[in-house]
Amino acid sequence: MLSGGHGEENPNSSWHSSRGAWLSYLAGLLALHLFLLSIPMISIPTAWTLTNVIHNMANYLFLHQIKGTPWELSDQGKARLMTAWEQIDYGQQFTTTRKFITIIPIVLFILTSFYTKYDFNHFAVNLATLLLVLIPKLPQFHMVRLFGINKY
Amino acid sequence: MASQWNVYESFQALLQAGPYHLAFEGVLILCIIWLFTAKKKPSKLIRLTKKEEEELIAEWMPEPLVPNPPDEDHPALNTRTVYGKVGRYIDLGKGEKVLNLGTHSYLNLGDRPEVEESALECLHQYGVGSCGPRGFYGTTQVHLELEDRIAAFFNCEMSVLYSYGFSTIASAIPAYSKNGDIIFADEMVNFPIQRGLQASRSRIVYFRHNDVEHLEELLKQQVELDKRDPKKANATRKFMVVESIYMNTGMICPLPDLVKLRKKYKLRLFIDESISFGTLGENCRGITDYFNIPMDEVDMIMGTLEATAASTGGFCVGTKFVIDHQRLSGLGYCFSASLPPMLAASVIKVIDILETEGPALVQELHDKCRQLHVALSTLPDKVNVSGDDISPVKHLRLTESTGNRCQDEVLLQRIVDKAEDLGVAITLAAYLWDKEANPPPPSIRITANKDLTKEEISKTFKVLEKSINEVLTKPESKYEVLTKPESKNEVFGKPESTKLD
Repeated sequence: MLSGGHGEENPNSSWHSSRGAWLSYLAGLLALHLFLLSIPMISIPTAWTLTNVIHNMANYLFLHQIKGTPWELSDQGKARLMTAWEQIDYGQQFTTTRKFITIIPIVLFILTSFYTKYDFNHFAVNLATLLLVLIPKLPQFHMVRLFGINKY
Repeated sequence: MASQWNVYESFQALLQAGPYHLAFEGVLILCIIWLFTAKKKPSKLIRLTKKEEEELIAEWMPEPLVPNPPDEDHPALNTRTVYGKVGRYIDLGKGEKVLNLGTHSYLNLGDRPEVEESALECLHQYGVGSCGPRGFYGTTQVHLELEDRIAAFFNCEMSVLYSYGFSTIASAIPAYSKNGDIIFADEMVNFPIQRGLQASRSRIVYFRHNDVEHLEELLKQQVELDKRDPKKANATRKFMVVESIYMNTGMICPLPDLVKLRKKYKLRLFIDESISFGTLGENCRGITDYFNIPMDEVDMIMGTLEATAASTGGFCVGTKFVIDHQRLSGLGYCFSASLPPMLAASVIKVIDILETEGPALVQELHDKCRQLHVALSTLPDKVNVSGDDISPVKHLRLTESTGNRCQDEVLLQRIVDKAEDLGVAITLAAYLWDKEANPPPPSIRITANKDLTKEEISKTFKVLEKSINEVLTKPESKYEVLTKPESKNEVFGKPESTKLD
């Protein structure tokens, strides 16, 4: 489809900002966690770490790995090499949406640490995945492809 | 089994947690605070004081509505007027009708009564306009039938119909090629293609006119570049855009070689068949027919219906997978009102004619093109003719340029005017010189049609010979043009001034 009907040049820049999207995000996260908790074999600390890891992996995949838009834009492919995170609010930094999406993995990490009783193994796994999603979100890393990873 | 968990134990763990862990969490909490307090990056707006604003407003000088208005004697402001229908002979308002060698109606199908009748019949059913773009109440049965007929004519899966020939080509190219892609194009491609290339924002690589070796050289260079950055190469699409018969030179493109390169270097090949639709090949299906190349060797064929088809609009044909994309991405298709149904109906009739009589018509046209080519080749040495002998479009160029494009054009225009007085209407090839990517040298463009008789061809030859000799042999007449360019009659060779002897 051609964008423009929403008055947006690139719909990918704005849909993350809607409160409905925020609510769906939180609801999805909660549903994932409750689902993991409901599996009998998984202990509570493992369920928390799994929630954290799955969340961060999905976050990385959808915000920092996949590039372009599902919409065909009139910008002739300018968004083709931009990740979804970079397209939010047309690249403006420190907007409310960006803050919200950055804070979620941090809070999730702190909660996970608490519920895993500060166990070192859990900490290492959670830290690694946290950095995976936190570093690309930093303003300094906007449009930066570290070591050329995921450049094209 | 999930182990029991209670808050007390967790708090105990918190107290016993390693310092590294608490330190890191501290950093994270600082992070959150930082995020909460950080302000949006201020936009780069500059705040001006009232005084500065007023200064800027006072400084501002509006540009003229029409920048650089042309002189009153600019040729574009003094165009010729045709009275009545544009046929083989046209009335330019000077009493006698003159032979028309400037219109692109190679098979003269516009003169056929049955074509006109089919348009009138459709007019009574659908009225004049279609009242909307194709996707918005502008599609009628006639459009769908015409698309099917064109696809069947080219032996392709699907075709798409545009309402204007120029925008067909200028929309079809950027529908596929985007920012970051590469297009290899012949340096002499016509203006619609150039506009399409420009709108695609791709990297354009021009190869020398019809020079397959140069193209291969450029492709090899690209392969070297690709090897250096294979990931980028994977994300880059490569296109090749050529014309079957070049509007700017009249040459036929070496399609068999191009098709080999397409396969070897994995290019997507688009061909503009504006001139060759209906004029090349055994069954008049264009260049693929002429070289006997199967349609699946070409990714898309574009063309206008404004030449042989004697209508308006354009079409693209190819596989369904390729063509269907344009129904949402071809800007000229989406945002223009569709072709008036009656014009589409006349094209259906034209395709009927091409399917039944096509082979004979093409044969006849080729004969006439060859005869005209021979006649033009024997003109005085001061001009030369470019183009293949079977091409219906020929260009006459000055053998020795004066070294200045404007002066060349003035001389050629005087030949054209002289020829018109003697009964043959021809035209200068018109270009937007500052917009052309590779401006071709100025030329007189002559088009052949299948109904030219031997007498008409010899008359054309005589008239051209006389005009050329008169305009080009007199060194002083050339001089006068150079020294007095401000006089309208001198520059553009009105009858009085061409009488210099």
